[in-house]
Amino acid sequence: MTHPGRVVRLGIQLDHRDPGAALAAAQRAEAVGYDYVLVPDGRDDAAYDAWTLLSWVAARTERIGLVAASLDPLRSPTVLARSAAGLDLLASGRVALAFGATTETGAALADHLTVLRRMWDTSAGPVSHAGHHRVTGAEPGPTPAHAIPVWVGGGESATVETAGGLADGWVGSLDAGLEQLAERLRLLALHATAAGRDPRELQRVVVLGATGTPADLGPLVVEHGVTTFVLRVDETTASGRLESFAEESHSQLEEPARAALAEGVIAARPLRRADVRARRRPGIDYDGLPESLAAHAVEPGDPGYGAVRSTYLRGGRPGLVLRPRSVAEVVEAVGVARRHPHLPFGIRSGGHGISGRSTNDGGLVVDVGALDRIEVLDEARRLVRIEPGARWRQVATALQPHGWALTSGDYGGVGVGGLATAGGIGFLGRLHGLTIDHLRAVELVLADGSQVRATASELPDLFWAVRGAGANFGIATAFEFAVDEVPDIGWAQLAFRVDDPAAFLVEFGRVTAAAPRETTPNLILGGGGAQIMAMVASDDPDVVIAQLQPFAGLAPLVQQQVVIAPYAAVMNMFPEAPHHGVGEPVSRSGLVTRITPEVAAASARLLSSGAVHWFQLRGMGGAIGDLARDATAFAHRDAAFSIAAMGANAQRVDREWGELRPLLSGSYLSFESDPSPDRLAEAFPPDTLARLQALKAELDPDNLFRDNFNLGALAATSRRPA
Amino acid sequence: MTDYGQDLLFGTFVTPDNQAVHHAVEQAVVADRAGLDLVTFQDHPYVAKFHDTWTLIAYAAARTERVHLTANVTNLPLRQPALLARSVATADLLSGGRIELGLGAGAFWDGIEAMGGRRLGPGESITALEEAVAIIRGTWDTDTRGALTVEGTYYAVRGAKRGPAPAHPPGIWIGAYKPRILRTTGRIADGWLPSLQYLPGGVADLATLNEHLDEGAEAAGRSPRDVRRFLNIAGQFGTTSRGFLQGPPDQWVEELTDTTLTYGTSGYILASDDTATTELFAAEVAPAVRDEVRRARA
Repeated sequence: MTHPGRVVRLGIQLDHRDPGAALAAAQRAEAVGYDYVLVPDGRDDAAYDAWTLLSWVAARTERIGLVAASLDPLRSPTVLARSAAGLDLLASGRVALAFGATTETGAALADHLTVLRRMWDTSAGPVSHAGHHRVTGAEPGPTPAHAIPVWVGGGESATVETAGGLADGWVGSLDAGLEQLAERLRLLALHATAAGRDPRELQRVVVLGATGTPADLGPLVVEHGVTTFVLRVDETTASGRLESFAEESHSQLEEPARAALAEGVIAARPLRRADVRARRRPGIDYDGLPESLAAHAVEPGDPGYGAVRSTYLRGGRPGLVLRPRSVAEVVEAVGVARRHPHLPFGIRSGGHGISGRSTNDGGLVVDVGALDRIEVLDEARRLVRIEPGARWRQVATALQPHGWALTSGDYGGVGVGGLATAGGIGFLGRLHGLTIDHLRAVELVLADGSQVRATASELPDLFWAVRGAGANFGIATAFEFAVDEVPDIGWAQLAFRVDDPAAFLVEFGRVTAAAPRETTPNLILGGGGAQIMAMVASDDPDVVIAQLQPFAGLAPLVQQQVVIAPYAAVMNMFPEAPHHGVGEPVSRSGLVTRITPEVAAASARLLSSGAVHWFQLRGMGGAIGDLARDATAFAHRDAAFSIAAMGANAQRVDREWGELRPLLSGSYLSFESDPSPDRLAEAFPPDTLARLQALKAELDPDNLFRDNFNLGALAATSRRPA
Repeated sequence: MTDYGQDLLFGTFVTPDNQAVHHAVEQAVVADRAGLDLVTFQDHPYVAKFHDTWTLIAYAAARTERVHLTANVTNLPLRQPALLARSVATADLLSGGRIELGLGAGAFWDGIEAMGGRRLGPGESITALEEAVAIIRGTWDTDTRGALTVEGTYYAVRGAKRGPAPAHPPGIWIGAYKPRILRTTGRIADGWLPSLQYLPGGVADLATLNEHLDEGAEAAGRSPRDVRRFLNIAGQFGTTSRGFLQGPPDQWVEELTDTTLTYGTSGYILASDDTATTELFAAEVAPAVRDEVRRARA
């Protein structure tokens, strides 16, 4: 909706009687390059409902800004806030609201703006407000797709004052002549300044009549900062008028105004309101952001902040979330991070990280969620290019029509980037190995901003390191995977009553070790029961049942469900849901080559201690062990199980986990929340660690990438002279 | 045995979830392509995770071609009747006559009041509903000359401009369970839109509820056939039978046919957010029930 670098924006106002004709005009305006379509409400001819028409136009256009105009400040702000936010979501951030205030309704206006903005702010609690609009504990939300601008229209001095103090824009008209309009604009700027605002925060929108030429309007732009001109159109508007006005505006208005304007008179980008800027965190050069990043960045006062501040398991209050849309923008984001070495810096793909700190307090987050394309490169070799922001459910869904799948994790909402740089212990693991074992190439932006591609033959050291410790070396912008042919699979959910967890674990270990590679089980134990989720990579019901049978006999079954389904159905079991994690997760990870009676007994004591509320074993072995331990930076190829436990209190968990620790052969960093350097030695054997640290010192000497199992902290320690 | 002899309609009840932003629109497209008659969305403006239902309906109508759409049912206390009439008429004009109006007197009054709405008692809300219907029908009625005036206790319009007239007469279908509102529905509505899950005795409860509707219709000099009987249903397709609408499509066909022939239900709206379920309902249940009912009636 914004066009950086352009001085003048154009809109049309639909004054038609026939809603179908209005829609056609909106579509034509979009095709010709107009920025906004305004649909005025409250028309006295009762021709149609404006909001309904606007929603319809939203569904039938792709780019043009959608402005509900002449809104009545007496209408319910709570319902309007929800409707506008929902439409903004459906229309990918194209909605704006413009009120038309009169003496009668002016007093309700400021109240209305306050309630609207609080309803959009999902980082705060329920909304109550007493005044012209009475609200008593309404649930805020949804978060709109962008900060919906609220403009105010009307020439009365009280209205101009409200607009100057609170609104994102003011709408005036030329109906009373140029002189009066100029006077209102001067007043607007005065009120904005008096309210402590930068007058450039306000868009200045002027609605024109059906006639007139842009040549007369230059002074409004140059002297009064008018940003947008709106042409009224209806059934009588001459054909070609939209096109000719756009052309005249460009030659007679845009170009002369650009030449005449002094540097800085027009803000290069939309300015945030003063009350939004007041919520910024110290030490961040918000106004120095590159243009491209600024357009999609989220900071604490933005309505989108509530949806991005926290991750799946972790609460956060980052000072700035950058959301690059391209590799070039990732490079710029890395540049921003380099200029803020004093701040916490997290990298987010799907926001499910436990070891990876993809949110923080007062720092930077680079969220690559927008880079989420999935593309088949080579049908014959089953080579697929996947960007880091894609979720595994999207990957599974995209591969399903080809009869393919790529083993990932156990949850479809996890992002590709974090998992594919760590390991990937998934439901096809015993047959097809780790996710990283399928990686053929990776593209990264390194700490110095350079873009590189690593494969087995190009930058082979980096290619090795990315497969297990990638978060330390750069921001991955694309992965190329060789995926597998995977027909429908057997999917089982078995629930057991378990009286003796230790004995159950030993038996589970024995049965899993003896199971064919097609079967990969995942066990959750606790509360006197056990739940096994297992995948059998076969679409033959007899094979599926035969391979599940030994698991079904482990203990008395209380519930069982077995289906033959596509791998994608398992990844799509849980729908997309927003992340509202609170606090810090406490998670411990360990790998074992066998479930010995000692491992089982220590696990049972951990469970009965009450220190953990989540205890999970994932089956490994099989194809995971086919690779040499030095093939990738994930070296624990002898592991047969990954154990993960989560609790509320780190000290309590560590006390109980301590018994298990000496029995472990290593750890899988993605399930470990303890950032202490001691954990590095468990995740990486000494030779692996040494090789990683040498590469870290070479590629990221200033330790920029440190949010996930930081190799640099240790490197810095070991480099320090004695 | 009461069969009102109406042709049958089949549709879906889709969750207007706004977290998977386009899910509901996509499910409307699925129902449209599958050949169903209706797509409906619940309307709870106090719930932040739902789309505004009438915004969603306009948007989804613009993305579909044949299917009719309605709220199931509109939360009246948070809508102005005249504005609602205009938005229904506008969407109906733009869609070529595909919008209907499911209406409810209001529920979850705490939520309504939190949003700035007015809390009404059960009797008051029924009176308000009747006043609203008069305003809505009056707004749509551009054939009658002169401005619209309805002097109600809860809603009043004085000298309002009529219009726009919708492209087709949208059906006003009311969600109702208690005797008084059922009689009101029989008197003023085009359809009745209850949910099976709120009937403690299951479909058998329809017999008594139908009597109240019929009583209301007849008292107003209407035929009970003027009020179409819908039913919101939930179920699950499976290989073995585990209860009402829990089993293979054949079982569904038998149960719905029986419900139509016994209680006169002529519109089935299935809660489905799932493409496969909607397509199965459209392909294997809807046409078979139509055939069976036609055969039984002949």
